Amino acid sequence: MLLDLHTHSIKSDDGRAKVENYCQWIRTKNLELDGFVLTEHRQFDNDSDYSALAKKFGLVILKASEVETEYGHVLVYGVTKALQKEFDFAYTKNPLEMVIEASEAHGAVAVPCHPGRPKVGMFAHTEELGIPKGVKIIEIFNGGSRDQEDQIAIDNAIKLGYKGIGGSDSHIVSHVAHCATRFTQDIATIDDLVAALQTGEFEAVHITKPHAPIQL
Amino acid sequence: MSIESISDVEFGVDLPAFKPDTRLSSASTFAKLVGWNAPRFNDHEAAKKEGLPGAMIPGILSQGYLVAMIHNWAPVANVKSIDTVFRAPVIADDDHTIIGVVTDINEDDKLVEIDLTVKNSKGETRVFGTAMIEIP
Repeated sequence: MLLDLHTHSIKSDDGRAKVENYCQWIRTKNLELDGFVLTEHRQFDNDSDYSALAKKFGLVILKASEVETEYGHVLVYGVTKALQKEFDFAYTKNPLEMVIEASEAHGAVAVPCHPGRPKVGMFAHTEELGIPKGVKIIEIFNGGSRDQEDQIAIDNAIKLGYKGIGGSDSHIVSHVAHCATRFTQDIATIDDLVAALQTGEFEAVHITKPHAPIQL
Repeated sequence: MSIESISDVEFGVDLPAFKPDTRLSSASTFAKLVGWNAPRFNDHEAAKKEGLPGAMIPGILSQGYLVAMIHNWAPVANVKSIDTVFRAPVIADDDHTIIGVVTDINEDDKLVEIDLTVKNSKGETRVFGTAMIEIP
């Protein structure tokens, strides 16, 4: 099962994609993608219900968040109302280790994204702040990466023993399904996704830049 | 195919790719014309001293290229908005390509939304955005 784990819709301040258009795009272009996860910036979208669209297009559509920390941006899968009370999702300097701990305490999974990117990626800060505790998974393929950003992520994942996911970080419709994550089991709900991430049985895939398998 | 009416437009169709003029001399001329006579638009070495990878194409010139691309495809289009997110500078003297694709069609209001991506010679996205156009 192939899911794009990092997408933004018009609910994000810099997102320009309507969710229905993502679905249309995936089906019109016959893309090899079973679904996608909306990771809106600095918030969790409690209100939107995409179940009708998911049914209409036969896609899995899940919701998560992209929050910000002193180490850069972090995807959080499995956000609950209780987790939203643990820290301010809109705040841009949440402590990463607290975000990871709180996420785990509430059954969620926190994943630093585009970690090889200057300023907003985790490895831009590790020289100054040290290697943060608790990280188990990082995003090793990001559709918006430039230069050596993905390679920095891969090299560090190997060195530090992290698992790796892939996500397009799409903000416009046509950028979805550039990167994704392949799972061995079926995923229909956010609980399924969290469980699959916790088992570690997944593989990051860069769809638009074919590559050899990454052994993590 | 030149687009003459909304019925000619299909979801997911690519606009003809557009190669913008990114020569430093053009960027410099444009910058001077609009009163942005700054070293970052005129001189690679001066731009590097400002922390940039090289002299850059002014953002409003990039936006002009986006509009030109749309009008090459649909001369009758009324461009209602161009909404861009500048992720990284468009560096002069590097070959860039602009890609446009139709991602929404509202036949009732004769509106078409287009995804726009400016990529450099390494295929990296430098600018992305959307355009909303009206086609009679």
